[in-house]
Amino acid sequence: MNNNYEIVVGLEVHAELSTKTKIFCGCKNEFGAEVNTNVCPVCMGLPGTLPVLNEQVVEYAIKMGHALNCKINGTTKQDRKNYFYPDLPKSYQISQFDIPLCENGYLDVLVGEEVKRIGVTRIHIEEDAGKLIHDDTLGGTLADYNRCGVPLIEIVSEPDIRSADEAKAYLDTIHSILLYLGISDAKMQEGSVRCDVNVSVRPVGSKEFGTRVEMKNVNSFSAAHRAITYEAKRQIKVLEKGGEIQQETRKWDDAKGVNVILRTKEDAQDYRYFPDPDLLTFIVSQEKIDQLKSEIPELPVAKTMRYMSDYGLSRAESELLAINKNTADFFEECVNLKKCEPKSIANWILGDIFKVVNERKCEIKDLAITSKNLVEMISLIENKTISNAAGKTVLEVIIDNDKDPKEIVKEKGLAQVSDTSALLAIVEKVLSKNEKAVADYKAGKTNVIGFLVGQCMKESRGQGNPAMLKDMVIAEIEK
Amino acid sequence: MDKLYSLSATQMKDLLNKKEVSSVEITKSVIDRIEKTDKDIQAYISYNFEEALKQAEAADAKIARGEELNDMTGIPVAVKDNMCTKNLLTTCASKMLGNFIPPYNATVVEKLLADGAVIIGKTTMDEFAMGSSGENSALQVARNPWDISRVPGGSSSGSAATVAASQVPLSLGSDTGGSIRQPASLCGIVGMKPTYGAVSRYGLIAFASSLDQIGPMARTVDDTAMLFKSICGKDFRDATSKDYTYKPYGENVKGMKIGLPKEYFGEGISAEVKEKIYSAVETLKAQGAEVVEVSLPSTDYALSAYYIISSAEASSNLGRFDGVKYGFRGSKTNNIEEIYLSSRSEGFGDEVQRRIMLGTYVLSSGFYDAYYKKAKVLQKAIAKEFDDALKLCDVLITPLSPTTAFKIGERSNDPLAMYAGDICTVTLNISGLPGISVPCGFDKENNMPIGFQVIGKKFSEDKLLTVAKCYENTVGGFAVKEF
Amino acid sequence: MEIDIKRIAKLAKLSIPDEKVEKFQKEMEGIIQMVENLPNLDTKGALVDPDNTMELRKDEVQPSYPRDEMLKNAPTTAAGCVMIPKVVE
Repeated sequence: MNNNYEIVVGLEVHAELSTKTKIFCGCKNEFGAEVNTNVCPVCMGLPGTLPVLNEQVVEYAIKMGHALNCKINGTTKQDRKNYFYPDLPKSYQISQFDIPLCENGYLDVLVGEEVKRIGVTRIHIEEDAGKLIHDDTLGGTLADYNRCGVPLIEIVSEPDIRSADEAKAYLDTIHSILLYLGISDAKMQEGSVRCDVNVSVRPVGSKEFGTRVEMKNVNSFSAAHRAITYEAKRQIKVLEKGGEIQQETRKWDDAKGVNVILRTKEDAQDYRYFPDPDLLTFIVSQEKIDQLKSEIPELPVAKTMRYMSDYGLSRAESELLAINKNTADFFEECVNLKKCEPKSIANWILGDIFKVVNERKCEIKDLAITSKNLVEMISLIENKTISNAAGKTVLEVIIDNDKDPKEIVKEKGLAQVSDTSALLAIVEKVLSKNEKAVADYKAGKTNVIGFLVGQCMKESRGQGNPAMLKDMVIAEIEK
Repeated sequence: MDKLYSLSATQMKDLLNKKEVSSVEITKSVIDRIEKTDKDIQAYISYNFEEALKQAEAADAKIARGEELNDMTGIPVAVKDNMCTKNLLTTCASKMLGNFIPPYNATVVEKLLADGAVIIGKTTMDEFAMGSSGENSALQVARNPWDISRVPGGSSSGSAATVAASQVPLSLGSDTGGSIRQPASLCGIVGMKPTYGAVSRYGLIAFASSLDQIGPMARTVDDTAMLFKSICGKDFRDATSKDYTYKPYGENVKGMKIGLPKEYFGEGISAEVKEKIYSAVETLKAQGAEVVEVSLPSTDYALSAYYIISSAEASSNLGRFDGVKYGFRGSKTNNIEEIYLSSRSEGFGDEVQRRIMLGTYVLSSGFYDAYYKKAKVLQKAIAKEFDDALKLCDVLITPLSPTTAFKIGERSNDPLAMYAGDICTVTLNISGLPGISVPCGFDKENNMPIGFQVIGKKFSEDKLLTVAKCYENTVGGFAVKEF
Repeated sequence: MEIDIKRIAKLAKLSIPDEKVEKFQKEMEGIIQMVENLPNLDTKGALVDPDNTMELRKDEVQPSYPRDEMLKNAPTTAAGCVMIPKVVE
């Protein structure tokens, strides 16, 4: 990337809320149902039907507003956004225009070792549109209205983001918070979180914003990173050639890694927003707003900070544990058993357990492992009953079985040998077999000690206590 | 029994309760009457005779079992064709919905059916309720029973005409800018626009959501009240509907203060109409009412506010008619844009297109603040003026239509002249207040009906009915067209 | 005040034939002229009405409608969906 330019990014995130029913009717809000089965006259926009706003949608959105430090507008309304598209049965989307439910907030995100504050302009509630299925065999487009009326929040950021990495961190944190609040399934692959990306560039030091380009069809957060990088490069290239950036909307093609123009400023829509006359002003009491605030759990960034200060974990470790509510819950369950060091728990989770989670593309909660068993296994290591290596063997079992680690140690004969006389015999045997190493050690090459201890471990078939073995090897040589 | 169809709903109810006639007999008589007269009146787009007879049989079975009856049990009602009826064509008198069969019932229809009423058919109207003569129907133009060469008024043209022609005792109309009250007045019947929110709009195909209200039309005040009682009340499907419980009305206006807003008796109103209304006021005065003059200075702006708000909402409400999911699909279908353009241009009549255009314009970027927002402020100001005026009196009385019914075709090429006719009625839609149209005589030249309007505070329908009932009693009932 | 009928028609998805443009223009301008006489007003807060509010709905599932019922009015359907000519975004 050309260092003479600064990237300016603003993001609009749409998240589907996981309410039981749609925003304006009692149809089920569910993904994956057979086409056009979760529909009724209201969500299919039949003539004469009227919307009735789902209270849960408002409450979920307010929770998100609190989580993003927003001002909550307790007296607000819904507006119609008018445009024609075959996935929009009423030819208007019920959304919010001038009085969003939440506004003027911010989100602190961790970018590398830095904390970056990104402004949140607004969060508003609106209805999702249907899905168009393009089917070449039928020579047409099919409209499935199941998704019509699925509740959405749109979270609009200020143009405070200065790199693709910051954008990714912001999106990951938003995603994490949605799950922490339990207000969205936030499943990227099901399209329940989507984002539009606004990108501009400007010479470093410039106070003026460059002309911005909006990118649609950014379907994952890693795609957002790629799309921003691509678009910034494209704009810089245009400027470097003496060209001008056009205000336009472009469509991101993640497979090809390029974007193409969708519409120019001249085709800009005139949405003719006005208050939906079918829905009156609604008021959420301050009491309710406060109650919703009290229900906000500790959020990932605060958790990260706490893990660092309370448990002495690094920022990277803390963040990895905190960003996923599931992982954080498991970690804290383990810590709360107070049987072993938080640091060891973190190491095991982030090491061996994450390896399995990543391989299986699942979450910790999908594994059979319990906090009790993990902590038991770690404490067996900490009290020197088993070696670290034996711990890995135990983990292999408990990861998929709810079995007492002590039982496993017994069955597999994994208990560490701490009996001095037994260990001494091993040490003597190893030293006698490795005279050259002993000589090297005596000549000052003390690093051979690792090799010798390793040989002893091997001789003990992994059951020797390595710390004791090390001490005894040194003692024997220096005798 | 002879001429069952000509009875009032209240009389039918009494006979049914006394088991002197059956609902099937009444319904057959009504069907027969419609079959004989509707070629002249042309009030109906769809007949529901087969179902109606089944509903009548069910009502009779209820009566035979001695079940407790609702007022409406076994009584035939006609429904304006912009209210959805499950499995029964609902067209809004538009080519756009010429083949539309709703899969659900409007709440008012549900309520009527739950009360045991008999739905006799769907009445014609101005297309999408846009018009005040009935001539804007794309399917059928209803006639005024008092002179079938004249319009019945609109947009609830068929609902007014069928009741006035004694085809059926009761009908439902809808009123966005006078569409119940004005045709009631031109047809010499009673029609009431309830307070906004008193009757559920769920299933009423919207023209202008914040102004639309369904209401009863009948030949007597008691019948009007009876139908209103059946349809009013809070509906969880309509977020704008309000908790409203029907209140019984009286027939005594002694001590009641009647306000006459001077702005409604200006130059535009024909001398004869004014004279009849003053004379009606005198009649009420003789019954003990007091009369005061009041002022509603923003009246002049009401029509502007009305056209902005109603067109804006209509432009959005009618966006859903795009040739994709239901209704008419135009002749060009090569791509989605062609479907939109041809379906909407071929499916909507000129008046509807004009209002969509106007609404689109006033909402478009750069004009929204100057038109729509301003209109909303005016709306509040107008409502406030009414509130203030109604602090000085119990009800207001005004004219309803500047003139009596004109000949079909006489004015249809001058939309602005037609719009001016709306001035007396739109203020109530703008302010959300209830109004009732009461017949008060005929003009000399053509012997066509004249009506006056009684306006009250929000949810004071009982007062409007009391004034109307007192007047009806005093004049010995309203004239009914015989033919 | 001249109204750009073509632009408005495009937004409203109406195709107004050339010969009708003038007629529409004249009629609409007549109405707009009437509207132009509105007094100057402070429009702040015009769009919310805290004195007239609505209740919200509980998040409770109601049965959906059978698909056939919902699609019976559609001009063309296929595979349980409304079908339209190919739409490319």
